[in-house]
Amino acid sequence: MSIQTQNQESETSKISEIFKKYSAYFQASPLVIVLFIFAVVPVAIILMYSVFIFDGFVTRPGFTFTSYIDFFSEWSSLLNLWHTARIFIITWVITLVLGFIISYFLVFDLISFRVKVFFFLLTVVPFWTSGVVRMTSWIPFLGSKGILNSFLINIGIVDEPVQFFLFSEFAVIVSYIHMFTLFMVAPLFNVMARINPNLIEAAKDQGASGFQILRFIIIPMSKPGIIIGTIFIVALVATDFTAIRILSGAQSGSLANSVSVAFFNGFYPIAAAQSVILLALLLLFVGGLMRVVDIRKQM
Amino acid sequence: MISFWQNSTTPMKIRGAIFLLFVIFLYGPLITIGFLAFQGPEGGLTFPMKGFSLYWFKQVILPDYLFDFRLPWLRSFILGIIVMIITIIISFMAGLAYRRGFKGSNLVFYGVIGSLIAPPFLISLGIGLGFANLELLSSWYSGGLGAHLTWSLPFGVLIMLAIFARFDPSIEEAATDLGATSWQRLRFVIFPIVLPGLIAIGLFGFTLSYDEFARTSLVAGDANTLPVDMVSATANAARPDLYAVGTLTTIFSLLIIVLAFGVVYILERKRGIFSAATGSSTDENENYTKSMH
Amino acid sequence: MSEITKKVNSKVSRRSVLKGTAAAAGAAVGTGAISGFPTLWAQEKVVLRSVGSGVSHIEPWQKQAEKDLGIKIEMTALGFDGIQNKILTQPKSFDIAEPAGNQMRRIWGSPAAKLQPIEIKRLKHWDECIGMYKSSMKTWSDAKIGDGQHPAKVLYNPGKKKANKFAKAGGSDYLTFMPTVHNADTLGYRRDLVGYEIETWAEMLNPKWKGKVCLQAFPDICMMDLAMAIEARGDIKYGNKGNMTKEEIDKTFVILNDLKKQGHFRAFWTTFMESVNFMTNGEAVIQSMWSPAVTLVQTQGIDVVYADLKEGYRGWTIGNVLAGHLKGKKLDAAYELLNWQWAGFPGALFGRQGYYAPTPERTKKFMSADEYAYWIDGKPTKDGITSPFGGPLAKPGDVRDGGSYKNRMGNIAVWNSEYDEFAYLVKKWSAFQAA
Repeated sequence: MSIQTQNQESETSKISEIFKKYSAYFQASPLVIVLFIFAVVPVAIILMYSVFIFDGFVTRPGFTFTSYIDFFSEWSSLLNLWHTARIFIITWVITLVLGFIISYFLVFDLISFRVKVFFFLLTVVPFWTSGVVRMTSWIPFLGSKGILNSFLINIGIVDEPVQFFLFSEFAVIVSYIHMFTLFMVAPLFNVMARINPNLIEAAKDQGASGFQILRFIIIPMSKPGIIIGTIFIVALVATDFTAIRILSGAQSGSLANSVSVAFFNGFYPIAAAQSVILLALLLLFVGGLMRVVDIRKQM
Repeated sequence: MISFWQNSTTPMKIRGAIFLLFVIFLYGPLITIGFLAFQGPEGGLTFPMKGFSLYWFKQVILPDYLFDFRLPWLRSFILGIIVMIITIIISFMAGLAYRRGFKGSNLVFYGVIGSLIAPPFLISLGIGLGFANLELLSSWYSGGLGAHLTWSLPFGVLIMLAIFARFDPSIEEAATDLGATSWQRLRFVIFPIVLPGLIAIGLFGFTLSYDEFARTSLVAGDANTLPVDMVSATANAARPDLYAVGTLTTIFSLLIIVLAFGVVYILERKRGIFSAATGSSTDENENYTKSMH
Repeated sequence: MSEITKKVNSKVSRRSVLKGTAAAAGAAVGTGAISGFPTLWAQEKVVLRSVGSGVSHIEPWQKQAEKDLGIKIEMTALGFDGIQNKILTQPKSFDIAEPAGNQMRRIWGSPAAKLQPIEIKRLKHWDECIGMYKSSMKTWSDAKIGDGQHPAKVLYNPGKKKANKFAKAGGSDYLTFMPTVHNADTLGYRRDLVGYEIETWAEMLNPKWKGKVCLQAFPDICMMDLAMAIEARGDIKYGNKGNMTKEEIDKTFVILNDLKKQGHFRAFWTTFMESVNFMTNGEAVIQSMWSPAVTLVQTQGIDVVYADLKEGYRGWTIGNVLAGHLKGKKLDAAYELLNWQWAGFPGALFGRQGYYAPTPERTKKFMSADEYAYWIDGKPTKDGITSPFGGPLAKPGDVRDGGSYKNRMGNIAVWNSEYDEFAYLVKKWSAFQAA
């Protein structure tokens, strides 16, 4: 009798052990399934298309590396890469500083949870108006007869309208900051909210200055948020083709722009090959980032 | 709730000012759009305003010449809600899985990153071609939904990782020591702490889906979503109805959010159903304040 | 809600009127879109899914077609690149599509596109179609044929489902597409800022307008506009502006890169909306435009002229293609729609936006005499023209820019084309953007 009970008990514990052991797999499975069907398979299809034959008008099944060779033999590819990198770095620095200050304000300066959420929402609402319309609405603001130029002329800072406000890299970066800062705020906000306030209190009691608290507590502990925000920003900047086209007046190149030009003209193997290259470059970048700070190890 | 703010110091005022300027910066274009939507029938896309009327709103609600944005909007809204719900659930589960750790987590992580940084057309084209090769018709609620998830899930999962990255395991251990079952631990310990993050993920999910064009463009099948229709409209017309659509949808979404907040608030008051969630965070924060004083 | 009820009611009454057509039982069940009740009532109607541009895919077009034909039309409006992508990657997502004539080599050559040729004998109004689409390739005997891909060169299908080669104009009983709309494009300019009448494409390169010139960002079309200007200025004499050689493309980009460095171009636009914005905001003084965009800017009280240039116009055509999967009742309905496209109402609808339809005699029946005189004959309007939104578009006595149908369409210097070296051009274009 007693042996039987023991057996039963060990069996239940075995089941719960198995469940415990595999629950992580169960929990990860929906993610894996969705990503497999809608990201891995499509990327595989694109890989296949990137080696198809393109005769100048029409895509045919086949096997050739022409589209890749084409990319690497063009000087402009390197130029595009440089443009993408430069715009990313400028955007990243600005969104990081801005995002850090905003998150800090939301987390440490505001008191109530509801107020925090309300203020956070305030920054999300503008995203519910069509992006294309929002981008186009920069034209009356930054243009040569726009609000900003009229203002500057009126107060006498400049005599002539400043042309580079619109249809320039400047305009592109302004719109990126406008659209992407939120993506830096969100992870930073969540990471900062998890910092134990007692830690800050303790530091204060020890006589640490505000700067020291920032330098030795808040910034190190916000690192995962910074890294994740960086991944968001690089992904958004490197794959954007709309804002860069509209706000540079289609006069600025980037890898994503080059992909979209090929794509819109129906040059699928070329667009596919360039996409694959872009994807590989971005994965390398994130891989390198993980070597600096591995957000998974920080768990 | 004593006050919205901490005791105000100069750095805090500077941060507040930066936040305020940022909000003005965010809303600038929106205000332009909002004003220009109220023009008369002869109105254009730029200042000065020509006339003042509700003509373009009427054109959007009861179109007699322009595009019919009503069904595309409804599709986008429903799709946004579905994406939001799925993103919250899957991201939360994935976050828990990563907390425990599992074999192949590294691979899945790079899958998530890959999905995030994949050029949007690539995803759309890949899914579209996949459907075409299977002789199936992709639509906004099949291929479109999948394409949106490849975009919203990485955001959700990564934010979840950010949350769990600084999650103090001692809290959970304490709960286990007190005899909490794993379900209780999840419901009363983990869930309340990650709730703000889940709200953020939900908002991201909705927002990313609601304004997604490139990923949808080749998988929407024979029924467009709103962003696809809006882009088509800019390709073919230049009238303030686009502004009216933007204004209307924003107001509507805002109302929904306010309503949701109201419902949560009332439920909380009535049954304390969310007290474990929002309440604890509030208390937590109010405790900071008290200790700070 | 009341709108839905109205729709249901109107559908019910229409249904009783059109019992004959309704016999197409079960041809179309609800298509899965959120259409609610109406599909229940409309079940017995044939549903056609049409993908097209904003030129035709507007409410009045859909409503009138549904009313006249007793079918249901689910329309999706896209840009031309979107339409082409749909045809090439999602052949099942439409029954009828409306690509441009200068996409035919890509569309008909592609093994992925599943289309079927259009039988001329099933087109009721074929005899009334203008000569431009027939063997002469001319509507008027003294009309120019123009450089590049004249639509008649890609219009005739040898009769096979897949055709890399097209039959010569008038040389087949099958069409690749049925033309619906065509027009002649040129430069638009701010007369108030320029101060004189612009008469030549070369004006686009005049250093006087440095930083105030805008062009289209479609590489193929932009290239032809530039070629018109460069040739007019006398820099390069092109063999065929609509089919440049590699050398010609290279030479053109040398000039283009130089101009970009000098800051000659303000911006390149991709959407109709941008082109209007550039003009109304004063970013552009002179820019390549579409006719309705000019009209729209004019209705806002800005003195823009759609220039009538001595070198001629850049012509284009769009039209309907039939999906390969259409058969039986659906195919019949599709042909009915095609015939309706040429029956007059759409022609008038497009005409009021400044476009032309291939059956002008039928268009005439659906326009007032004054409208027809203004839009097609290029004569002064007696009573003034109102825009579709009720605002004044032209005052009594005004004449349409560029004048008559013949003056514009008979004077095409180059057609929107697909160069043999198109892939090379696009590559160079990307490099130009990056430079």
